[in-house]
Amino acid sequence: MQLSRPSIRPSRIALHAVMILLVVWSVTPFIWTAQTSIKFTRDVASKTPVLWGYETTANAYRNFWLDSDDLNMWGVLAFILVVAAVATALGLIGRRARHGWPWFLGATAVICVALWRFPRIWEANDEYDFLVNSVVVTILTMCISLSIGLLAGYGLARYTGISGAVILIVALGFRALPRTAFVLPYFFGAKEIDDWLTSTGVGSWNFPLIDFPGIDTLQILDTRLAIVLALVAVNQPFTIWMLRSFFIEVPKEMEEAAMMDGATRLQAFRKVIIPIMWPAIIATGLFTMLLAYNEYLFVRVLAPTEWTLPVAIVSLTGGESSRTITEAAAASVSITLPIVIVIILFQKHLVRGLGAGAVKG
Amino acid sequence: MSTVTLKNLVKDYPNGFRAITDLSLHLDDGEFLVLVGPSGCGKSTALRMIAGLEDITSGDLYVGDRRLNDVAPKDRDMAMVFQNYALYPQMTVAENIAFPLKLRRVPKAERTAQVHQAAEILELTEQLDKKPAHLSGGQRQRVAMGRAIVRHPALFLMDEPLSNLDAKLRVQMRADIAGIQRELGVTTFYVTHDQVEAMTMGDRVAVIKDGVLQQVDTPESIYGSPDNVFVAAFIGSPSMNLFEASLTGNDEPDGGYSLVLGDQRLAVPAEVVAERPALASYEGRPVVVGIRPEHLEDASVAPDHPDDQRLDATVDVREALGAETLVHFNLNAQSVDSGDPDALDDLRDTGRCTARFSASSQARVADQIRVNVDGRKLHFFDRQTHLAIRDRVHGAER
Repeated sequence: MQLSRPSIRPSRIALHAVMILLVVWSVTPFIWTAQTSIKFTRDVASKTPVLWGYETTANAYRNFWLDSDDLNMWGVLAFILVVAAVATALGLIGRRARHGWPWFLGATAVICVALWRFPRIWEANDEYDFLVNSVVVTILTMCISLSIGLLAGYGLARYTGISGAVILIVALGFRALPRTAFVLPYFFGAKEIDDWLTSTGVGSWNFPLIDFPGIDTLQILDTRLAIVLALVAVNQPFTIWMLRSFFIEVPKEMEEAAMMDGATRLQAFRKVIIPIMWPAIIATGLFTMLLAYNEYLFVRVLAPTEWTLPVAIVSLTGGESSRTITEAAAASVSITLPIVIVIILFQKHLVRGLGAGAVKG
Repeated sequence: MSTVTLKNLVKDYPNGFRAITDLSLHLDDGEFLVLVGPSGCGKSTALRMIAGLEDITSGDLYVGDRRLNDVAPKDRDMAMVFQNYALYPQMTVAENIAFPLKLRRVPKAERTAQVHQAAEILELTEQLDKKPAHLSGGQRQRVAMGRAIVRHPALFLMDEPLSNLDAKLRVQMRADIAGIQRELGVTTFYVTHDQVEAMTMGDRVAVIKDGVLQQVDTPESIYGSPDNVFVAAFIGSPSMNLFEASLTGNDEPDGGYSLVLGDQRLAVPAEVVAERPALASYEGRPVVVGIRPEHLEDASVAPDHPDDQRLDATVDVREALGAETLVHFNLNAQSVDSGDPDALDDLRDTGRCTARFSASSQARVADQIRVNVDGRKLHFFDRQTHLAIRDRVHGAER
């Protein structure tokens, strides 16, 4: 039997043309930025755009990230590549291994040590602190949001009473409110707490992860903690709804079977339900990560000096800074790349999450 | 291994719905009891109450002489096989079967040995390293069984374990499960809506309807002398034909009775009346008569049959099954609703009658035929109470 080849219809060609146009539309600015970040200022400033054949340089990256003026950037690139390669290798071994977690822990440790040692090997400037802020805020927000979301989502998926529905609808309502509705109350609330901390003397305790280096007093405002708390609060409804929609897909018989097999409810949750939920947890975690990493408004208002990268990059463009357009481009590429890498690694899960959200969320 | 006693179990839901009413049952050590009923009759609820997955509203549950009402599921020493198997998808077959042992902190070497032993019984040895997603339905079912038997529990609970399998596999697994149960001698409480499973697997069968226990007995007794119209219609396939009829005394000097079924008369053999002393009091009154399809036969196949135990009929539908032939015809009599919610509604009030003829029957659609009725196998029920007419007036007790 001969299979007929799919006929090429005009509608198909049109569809592809539209899709190609859309891809060009969305990718061009990024390619433009990436190009700008490795050009000399004279090429960027020339009246006729120089699209190819220009001389490349890493000056913009050096100027944005480092204090030094004449460092060879190949060394920095090599350092980053080696760290990435080691972390990837550990991760890949972990995926194959019977017990993956020691390997994943190792990969995480390598990245942490690299982040920690980097400014001591090269003279990093303030922007590096903003990168660390971004990473810490993102990871803390993810961990806290997921922990609360898993327990709440599981409970709300299994409990079908009226109060569960009320909680879900209220959560949805808060999710629908704009950020601007929350940001001032959070600001004033944090200020109140800070005043109280100062007046009682509790403020003199010290937590290295939360506290801004150089400030000895414990406070909320202008710390990573303020950003994390605010982000967890606004993002929690989403995490709960999304995880709940995944929990509903896990048959109730799973934990019942585990309980009949001799597990407590918590054991059933930990040993049976959570492993089934991994893809959902990763998907939800990715969405939370994007939200925290990209947040601008809360950081701007709640942390006037303790910026994350989005605030740092905006400050480059508004005429507040003496820095050049190539540096802004370098900053924007540096911010985007880690997220692009994470998304490429986990895109399967992200698509699944988008699908679940579209159908049920 | 242990006995199981249910004493007046009641289950009320918060919305006021009573799922189980006064359920009392006793299972002997090593007994296989099948709880059967139509969908929504509360049979799964009863099982889940024993498992501890549903609270018991009132009544007592004993295993041996230990009262289990308030004991957590994990401490009840019961193993359960679920309808959808509920295998853990992230674990291999071996890990699935070993999971209950792992929770009990059984040492690894012993665990492996027991898993292999269970896998051998269930012919799963070659599948041990596979994930459930790569198994066929029958293999998954066996893994679920493996997870149950590996623990040597006091009680097996099985919630329609075969209903997700195709028909052929179901027949095989039916025999396999019954065989394994007999081999291990573990007391088993098995829930199904399939009366064939109930009849073939159980040492005893308990029929339940709307949360109320109807009859508990051996499969033979349930089939041979059902306590009421519901049990009569529910057990047996095709189900028993049930009609309204009236009992009249004969004019002949030796007495005896005949049954007026629509516009036809059927003699009731004297031994039938003798077995049911209460029947005499129904003379001249309407009763419900039940005739199983297998007790009807084409008169041309079995010519020497008493002439007064025959009915005239016109064939409506003929279904040749090879070994036998099902023939549907219409008796001009009022059909009786047995109360089975799964039964087809549009067959009520039609007077439709199903007969199971031997394959040699030549009856064709639209043929006028004579049908032999095995008068000794007739069933009689009270028209109001739907209880079997036996040795007492309105009596269901024997």
